[in-house]
Amino acid sequence: MTTSFPWGDIASLRIRSRLVAEGVYAGAHRSARRGSGIEFGGHREYVAGDDLRWLDRRALLRHGRHLVRQFETETDRALRLVVDASASMGYRGSRAPETKLGVASLLAAALARIAVSSGDPIGLAYLGGGSARPVALSGGREAFDRLLGSLEIAKAEGDAVRDPEMLERSFGVLERAARRGSVVIVLSDLLDLPRDTAEHFSAMAARGRSVVVVQVLAPDEIDLPFDGTVRLRALEGDVVVETDTAVARDAYLAALRGLAAHYETTLMARGARFLRVSTADDPVASVRAIVGAVR
Amino acid sequence: MSFVTIFALGIAAFIALPILAHRLRRRRAEERAFPAAALVPPAPPRARRRAKLEDRALFGVRALAIAALALLGASPLVRCTRLSLSRSSGASMAVAIVIDDSMSMRAKAGNQTRFARAKAAASELLAGTRDGDAVGVVLAGSPPRVALAPTTELDAVSSIISSTTESDRATDLDGAIHLAETLLAALPQVDKRVVVLSDLADGKPDAPALGENAVVPIWAPLAEIRDTKETDCAITSADDTGGRVIVRLACGKDVSASGRRVEVRAGERVVGSGTATATTTTDLSVDVTGVTPGEALTAHLLGGDAIATDDVAPVLVSQSGAIGVVAEAADETAVTGGPPVVEQAFAALRSDLATRPLPAVPDQPGDFHGFFGLVVDDPPGFTPEQRRALSQYLEGGGVMLVALGPRASAAPLGATLQPLLDHATTWSEAKSKGAKPDADAVLLGEATRSLVDLGAAKRTTLSPADVGSVENLVAWSDGAPLVARRVIGRGEAWIVTLPFALDASDLPLRPAFIALLDAFVATTHTHAAPRRADVGATWTLPSGASAAKGPSGAIDLVREGGRAKLSPPVVGAYHVTIDGKDELRVAAPIARETDLRPRALKSQEASSHLGATQAQVDISPYVAVALLLLLFAELALRLRAGQSPGEKMIG
Repeated sequence: MTTSFPWGDIASLRIRSRLVAEGVYAGAHRSARRGSGIEFGGHREYVAGDDLRWLDRRALLRHGRHLVRQFETETDRALRLVVDASASMGYRGSRAPETKLGVASLLAAALARIAVSSGDPIGLAYLGGGSARPVALSGGREAFDRLLGSLEIAKAEGDAVRDPEMLERSFGVLERAARRGSVVIVLSDLLDLPRDTAEHFSAMAARGRSVVVVQVLAPDEIDLPFDGTVRLRALEGDVVVETDTAVARDAYLAALRGLAAHYETTLMARGARFLRVSTADDPVASVRAIVGAVR
Repeated sequence: MSFVTIFALGIAAFIALPILAHRLRRRRAEERAFPAAALVPPAPPRARRRAKLEDRALFGVRALAIAALALLGASPLVRCTRLSLSRSSGASMAVAIVIDDSMSMRAKAGNQTRFARAKAAASELLAGTRDGDAVGVVLAGSPPRVALAPTTELDAVSSIISSTTESDRATDLDGAIHLAETLLAALPQVDKRVVVLSDLADGKPDAPALGENAVVPIWAPLAEIRDTKETDCAITSADDTGGRVIVRLACGKDVSASGRRVEVRAGERVVGSGTATATTTTDLSVDVTGVTPGEALTAHLLGGDAIATDDVAPVLVSQSGAIGVVAEAADETAVTGGPPVVEQAFAALRSDLATRPLPAVPDQPGDFHGFFGLVVDDPPGFTPEQRRALSQYLEGGGVMLVALGPRASAAPLGATLQPLLDHATTWSEAKSKGAKPDADAVLLGEATRSLVDLGAAKRTTLSPADVGSVENLVAWSDGAPLVARRVIGRGEAWIVTLPFALDASDLPLRPAFIALLDAFVATTHTHAAPRRADVGATWTLPSGASAAKGPSGAIDLVREGGRAKLSPPVVGAYHVTIDGKDELRVAAPIARETDLRPRALKSQEASSHLGATQAQVDISPYVAVALLLLLFAELALRLRAGQSPGEKMIG
């Protein structure tokens, strides 16, 4: 297993991200958002934090439900990518072609290329990552090149367990900088993060931003395929567990489902979306799912 | 312990291997990096669970198997604390085991008696013998006895050893060893030895060291039963003299019964008591009161000592007895001016029996009451009444000494010498002037030599028919009987072929005469009833004896030569049924047996070249069987573990 970014050369990331992006172009692609605008786009359930100006009183009288009106507008949407580059993202497992950070970078690059092709500005922030340099929000091919350059040198470093401020350093800036209508895509394994991380993510969604949290897991993390007795050492923190996998597998999978359910519930409450992708999945399908979730 | 032994036993250290294997097995879990480790619950690994299940059984079996393996490797060299004979070569050996069953062996040695330790040692020795070894057993209690002649049937030896019991006999180690050597002499084995399992306390601590002149090597192990500081006192006799019991005590060397209390009891009731004085051996007079006539009494020495059985003795009622003397005093008084010479001789003996002159041989059986013996000097035959009375007296155990002279040979009509002799005697010139110088004569011993030049002009000659019916104790130089004995019923008659009158011969002036009277008195004592004798001594009973009962129950009488014999093994009262009448006899302890000091032992006889208390014992067969069983046990455990699915075990 390697904890550094394993891409090899920038051309590879560039080519692969382009291929992924082109695969996504084959499907529907619209840079659109619902919210305040000119053309009515339908109703949706009211959630706390929605602008009361768009509450449809008639619909309330007719259906007895709180619905808000949505409008479609053609506008440029800033894409802010947040890539988790903490130590746990350096895990690849036995059945994945790349580390989680590698796959997350590929997905981020592909999404950035799609955004750049649509004329949307892109920005990049990291969770952890040590010396990885964030990319400020900007548009054009140069921005895409900077983003690729940053992803190239990113290494899986940092311990969210020992450094609880890591999350605040990344999201604090993002919350202040992301404007209304921005799309925030978080690519992380969501492991070893503080318990209130989901609230941080959902808080961003409540301020009119579109937030998609993508949990990137290795196949080994999804089904715990080990046999017999193993000693499992976490990459962050000091957790070392000796267990019999046959005994612990069901409990582990339940805990993993519980973690996903926690994020999904918390994010859905603010209109954010939660996805899980496997590093063994087709990246085109993964990007397509992410793009679909943004809509 | 040699290097090989240490190395073999070192294998036992490999017991740590199963422990190490189990621990390694538990630590075999591979460590993996796994980001989601925090979500994985810890669970007891299956291997650990299995290890726990198997710890007590499988691990125990494996550890024992390794230990057994180590023992197996070292077993020919493993030493056990048991008695065993050293075997200088592979040849078979002949062993005579002398087991001391004397009274001193009743003393304690640790938590068991000395005898029990000797018996156990004999069994240990027997366990170390091999096929082809000949083993005999000799008992050293006096008299020494062959319990089993040497035999290669070791099961028989084992049976004899286990059936051997304690006794109160005296110790005769010299005799026992001699007997053992005799038993081994005829055996073909080259390697012979006598093993003496004894405390060596034979009452002769100052005698020459044991094994001085031994022909066969003697090994006397069991030093532990000779090192004890036990002391002992015993009641050797207790006689009721009419309201007063005389208790005789005996103690070991430098041991005193001073201050110890003596009680006389009638059953559980104390009828008299006293306290012993400072003297080592003493007669203690105890006044008794409240005793009904015929009531059995026992004397008890309180205070406790090494041997308890000799602290109790039955009290015998002393019977006053006398020796009746029938002698024609007329001539004697003319010569000596006093009582007949035979009476004066009895007085010189200072016997405890009084002499009572009688005018004639009693002609009524009742007139013999109180007479332990009867001495008749040259009787002129016996009348029919006298003969009938004499027959009853002798048949009942009386002892008679008759001197035959001219009057006996000239018995009047109707008077004969029956029941002593069936035919008449003759008083004639002596063909020889003295007795045969037979120093081995049992009766008089060395004193017989004083009769060699006996100055007798005439002597009494028995008819040839009577000579054949008597036992010749002392003979004239021509072989004719000078002193003869004839057993009549339970009694006996001693016949002297010279009268006691000094004008007939100077026999009364010879030392042999006193020796003759002394032997006669001793014989009257042995025929007097009730009798007290040393324990272990053989009692010769009349043919009418039918049963005997001792302290430990009924005893079988041994028939020999028409007479019954009994050898009491323990001290106490014995009731013998003779002609339908119950007769009380007492086996008394022997004073010297209270001396528990061991006799010296020839130094080389105690050395270990003949045997050792820590001998090499081959335990390989037992260990091999144990190892086989352990392997089966492990196999069973593994099969059992294989039949149990892992998931079920975990669940």
